[in-house]
Amino acid sequence: MHNVAVKSKEVTLLEILDRILNKGVVVSGDIVISVADVDLIYLGLKVLLSSVETMEQLRGAPIVGPMQEPT
Amino acid sequence: MRLYTYGIIDSSNQVNEPIYGLEGACVYNIPYCDIGAVVSELKEPVQNVTRSSVLAHEEVIERLMEYFTVLPVKFHTVFDGRDGVLSMMQSYYKDFKNNLDRLRNKVEFGIKVIWPADKVKKRIMNSQKKNEREMPVPAGSSNKKFIRKKFEEYKTNKEFEEKANKFINVMDIFFSKFAAEKKLKKLKTENLLLDAVYLVEKDKQDDFKEAFEHIKGPHTSFKFLFSGPWPAYNFVILPKNSDLLKDSKQEDLFDKVVQHQELVGADKI
Repeated sequence: MHNVAVKSKEVTLLEILDRILNKGVVVSGDIVISVADVDLIYLGLKVLLSSVETMEQLRGAPIVGPMQEPT
Repeated sequence: MRLYTYGIIDSSNQVNEPIYGLEGACVYNIPYCDIGAVVSELKEPVQNVTRSSVLAHEEVIERLMEYFTVLPVKFHTVFDGRDGVLSMMQSYYKDFKNNLDRLRNKVEFGIKVIWPADKVKKRIMNSQKKNEREMPVPAGSSNKKFIRKKFEEYKTNKEFEEKANKFINVMDIFFSKFAAEKKLKKLKTENLLLDAVYLVEKDKQDDFKEAFEHIKGPHTSFKFLFSGPWPAYNFVILPKNSDLLKDSKQEDLFDKVVQHQELVGADKI
């Protein structure tokens, strides 16, 4: 189901990841990053993508929102 | 109730067709004035980044693009209920409106150009050696030889960069003709000659693609990775988070692209 639109374009998961992990609307302070204790994310592409720094950056940001996911 | 947010759209109306997001939940619009935040309800905290969740997120945004101008929201942005979303919308309303107006009817294309850096350098060095044969070899100390060697390296690197600039300029002239905005990164690694994103009006998409094919044709030793149309991920400007928008911890990603071109299909292009 998920693949229909995505596969129709000649793109890869890497291209998607590059965009959705770091670009677009980043509403700091209100967001909750629920990926905790994940140092390396294995994406099944034989690539270990070290995005922990990004996650840490966001997790370290002051959270003024009403909710925080358990870590 | 956790609300997973996919994007901000230029409409306060509901999405006409059913679109399913994470956990297979139906997405809906939370209107705020004349814009809205598209969300779905999450039963469980998202514990992991998986291929399916990444693709689900992206697919929702792509589906929304068919009907609206979309500001894609970063992956894993979760709010605690409707009030949390509305509070965020209130804080960023003007910024969202400005971006939606600026990005209306525009899409993003990504272009990566990989060139054979080692061959380019080798060619430069060979050409320099040829010239050196016509010059007298400095007699004397090893210091002089060392300095000469360093100078040659410097010349090689300078010429390498000049060549890169020349190629990039030629390509960019073609692409810019059909682009409203652009962001170029030159030589992120020696092999990744160009990593660029262009914002293109929807009715110029075909021209842009044609320009790409035109550029790609003669450069058979280069590898080109073309992607899009994307929502304008790289062109959303939110002054409040300018520090966060300044990327990037993803430098490694591009190195991986260069090192493992087969993973992204670049070797087949």
